Amino acid sequence: MNEAGSEPATGGAEPKLLVFLHTPLKQRAFQGQLQAALPGVAVSAVGRPADFERGLEDHPDAVLTLPMVLAAHHLTATLQGLHRGAAEEAYVLAGVDAAPDPARVATVGVIDVLGREGMSAFVTSLLGAHPKVERVTKVEDLLPLLQLQRVEAILLPARLLEEVAAPSRLSLVPRVLAAKVGLPAVASLGSGGGRVVQGVRRLPPAVTRELGVTEWR
Amino acid sequence: MALSRRRFLLTVPLTGLGAACSSALPRLHGGAPLEIATSKPAGPAKGTILVAMPETVQTREVWTGLRDELARDYDLVAVRVEGREAAADIAAAMARYRPNGVVLMNNPTVAAYRAYQQQSGQERFPPAVVVMTSFFDGHLPQLVTATGISYEIPLITVVTNLRKVISSPVEKVGVVVRPSLRGFVQRQAALAAREQVQVIEQPVSASPNSSEIKWALRRLKHHIDALWILNDDRLLTPRLIVDGWLPGLNERPYCATIVGAAALVSPQQSFGTFAVLPDHTALGVQAAGILFDLADNNWALPAGAPVQLPVSTTTTVDLVQVRERFTLRADGLQHVDRIVE
Repeated sequence: MNEAGSEPATGGAEPKLLVFLHTPLKQRAFQGQLQAALPGVAVSAVGRPADFERGLEDHPDAVLTLPMVLAAHHLTATLQGLHRGAAEEAYVLAGVDAAPDPARVATVGVIDVLGREGMSAFVTSLLGAHPKVERVTKVEDLLPLLQLQRVEAILLPARLLEEVAAPSRLSLVPRVLAAKVGLPAVASLGSGGGRVVQGVRRLPPAVTRELGVTEWR
Repeated sequence: MALSRRRFLLTVPLTGLGAACSSALPRLHGGAPLEIATSKPAGPAKGTILVAMPETVQTREVWTGLRDELARDYDLVAVRVEGREAAADIAAAMARYRPNGVVLMNNPTVAAYRAYQQQSGQERFPPAVVVMTSFFDGHLPQLVTATGISYEIPLITVVTNLRKVISSPVEKVGVVVRPSLRGFVQRQAALAAREQVQVIEQPVSASPNSSEIKWALRRLKHHIDALWILNDDRLLTPRLIVDGWLPGLNERPYCATIVGAAALVSPQQSFGTFAVLPDHTALGVQAAGILFDLADNNWALPAGAPVQLPVSTTTTVDLVQVRERFTLRADGLQHVDRIVE
C-alpha cells in the first residue's frame, strides 16, 4: 500500500511532481506543505523505494529526491539544492551515550532510499566498514532502532539529529563523518518539468528548510 | 457528548482488538490451496516463501511490504488461510510449494500452523516468521522453528510518539492490568525505563467488573501523566467500556489515554486520545528483513533468535478531546498520521 496521499497524480494539465525525500514531518503533512507551496503542480510524496519506482512508472514531469537516488535510476539533476552555497551536507553516525566508531560499529540504522543492496553500499561508502544495515522508511523510525537496541548507531543527515532526539531522554552522541552526501535535487522528466522547476525555485524558506536547502542552482 | 455510549459501541469492533479481523470468506477443506497473490523475480529465484494469511486490509499491507522487499529474489506465494481449523489448507500449501521460509499472519493462522505441525509427523520444518499475532512477545506459541515480530507497540515507542504531540510532560504512565498480562507489562516497563518512563500498574482481577475498572482508574489518574490501555479483550468488553471505562475516563482529572485500536479513538466519545498502531506495510518490510537474515543463514533459525518488536507505527489523534483537555505542541499535528474531529 502506498502511504497516505502518495498515489501518483493523474489527469488534467497540471504537471506532476514525484517527491521522494524524508523529513521529520509525517508524509501527510509534508505532502500538504509542498502542495500548498506549489499551486498548479500535482505533488505526490512517497517514502519507500518501491513506491518511488511505482511513481516513476506513472511518468511524472519531474522528481525531487536525493542525487544518489537520481543516479541509481539514471536520471540527471536539472536543479540542485544548496545549503549556504554547498551542494552536499554532512552526515553523522549517532549512538547512545558515546560517539560510535565508524570502523567498529556492528549494526547501523539508516533511512532506506536505495533498497537493501544499495543502502549497504551507501553505508560502506560513508563509514569505510561493512556493518549490518537495518533500514527504515521514516525519519521517526530511527529512534526506535536505538530505543529497542536493534542497532548500535544510526546514520543520518546532521540537520535531522536534533529532531530525532527531541522526544527522547536518551543521550544521542554524534560523530560527524568526513564524507558528505548530495542535497535534494530536481530532475525534469516530462513536458511539464520546466514549470515544476520554476515552482521549486520559488519554494518559501519554511518549506526548503525542511529539505535542508537554502537556495537552488 | 452527542453520541450515547451505547451507540458509540456500535461503531467499535470489539472482538480481536489487537488482531487483524478475518473476513467471512468460506474456507477450503484440504483441496488445492487458494493463491491470493503471487510474485516471481525476473531472473532465477533464490527460493520460495509461502505466506499464509487471511484477506484483510491489514494483511494486504503486510503482503505489500514483503513483496516489495523480496520479489526481486524470491518466488512469493500468498495463500488464503481462514481460521484455526485450516491446518489441512496449510498442509496442502506446504506440500505443493515446498517453501524455504513461511510467513504466518494473525493468531488463527498461527493456531492452524501449529495444528499442521503437530499432525504432520515431521520433526523439521522451514523457518516461520510470525506477524500480527497478539501478545506474542516473550514466548513462541509452541511452534517448531519459528520467530517473528510481536504485534503490540512497545510502550517506549508509544510514549515517544505522545511526547511529539502534547506539550505536557509524559513521565508517569499508568496501566490497568489483569494478572495474565503483568509479565508483558513488566517487560515493557523495563524497556521504557530507558526513556525515564515510570510505569504505574493498577492490578485488577482476572475477570473485573465495571466497578473494579472505575475504582482502578480513580486510583491511577491522580498519579499519572498518561494512561496506556492494553489491547486486552477481557478488559475491553462492551459492558466494561460502557459502564467502567467511559465513566472513569470522563471524570476529572483527565489524562491522555493511549489505545491500540483506531476504532477506540472517536470524537463522539472520549475514550482513546491517541491510537498508536503498527504500520503494516513497514511490518512486512521488517519481516522481510528477518527472511533475508534466515536466507543468509542457509534457512536455519539461529538458536535463541529473539522475537522482534515492531519499529514503525502510525498515530491517530482525537483532536476534539485534545483541544478540550490538553495542550498541543505547536507542530504536534504534523507528527500524526490521522486526525479525527
